[in-house]
Amino acid sequence: MRMTRKLLELAGIGAERLHVEWVSSAEAQRFADIAAAVVASLKEQGPLDHEAAGMRLEACEMTVNAEPLRWLVGKEVKITSRGDVYGRPWSQDRYESLMDAMLEREYQKNLIYLAVQGGCTSVRAISERVGLGLKRVSYLLADLEKTKRVEFKGMEQKKPLFGAL
Amino acid sequence: MAEFEPRIVAFLCNWCAYAGADLAGVSRLQYPANLRTVRVMCSGRVDPAFILKALRQTSDGVLVGG
Repeated sequence: MRMTRKLLELAGIGAERLHVEWVSSAEAQRFADIAAAVVASLKEQGPLDHEAAGMRLEACEMTVNAEPLRWLVGKEVKITSRGDVYGRPWSQDRYESLMDAMLEREYQKNLIYLAVQGGCTSVRAISERVGLGLKRVSYLLADLEKTKRVEFKGMEQKKPLFGAL
Repeated sequence: MAEFEPRIVAFLCNWCAYAGADLAGVSRLQYPANLRTVRVMCSGRVDPAFILKALRQTSDGVLVGG
């Protein structure tokens, strides 16, 4: 849940669109109150622009469905209580900051991948499409190249071009 | 213009919130009709991917009730 919130925040969708509440089966009034509160909060936030958020949400989905984060989430208790494979103990804070860094990186990589897939070929075009700096984009592109998700297509007017695999 | 009615997907636990929602209906409490309920056997069943998918497919918000 914390991860999903963070991801929605990263994607600029807003964590306030996700509500998590506990209601017991005997608390009908509480349920009605919560339903009203959630609706009121979303009315205030206004409709979600699906057209604009589509690519960012798709990148989020790719991120949570991919192995790296699933592994990390599954190992949370083990890493923070018994330590990692080298026996080093991890504090909760350290685990969470690692998680956040990884979340951001994976999300940005997926976003770039989608941009390349959508026809952005040069670093500048990708940067404009996804709203990340040129340096960050080329750094992550190198990473995507290594994992064989994008490829270097050649040069055009001294600019490198990329294509999705 | 009509007031904006958000579309909200609610994942409700069969044993807690879903029963609570049911009771709210039975006891005729008024609550907004914007919720589209998905009954799950436990709120632990809800995967982050479900939430993102719901948001991608035209819902404006998500409620997870356990």
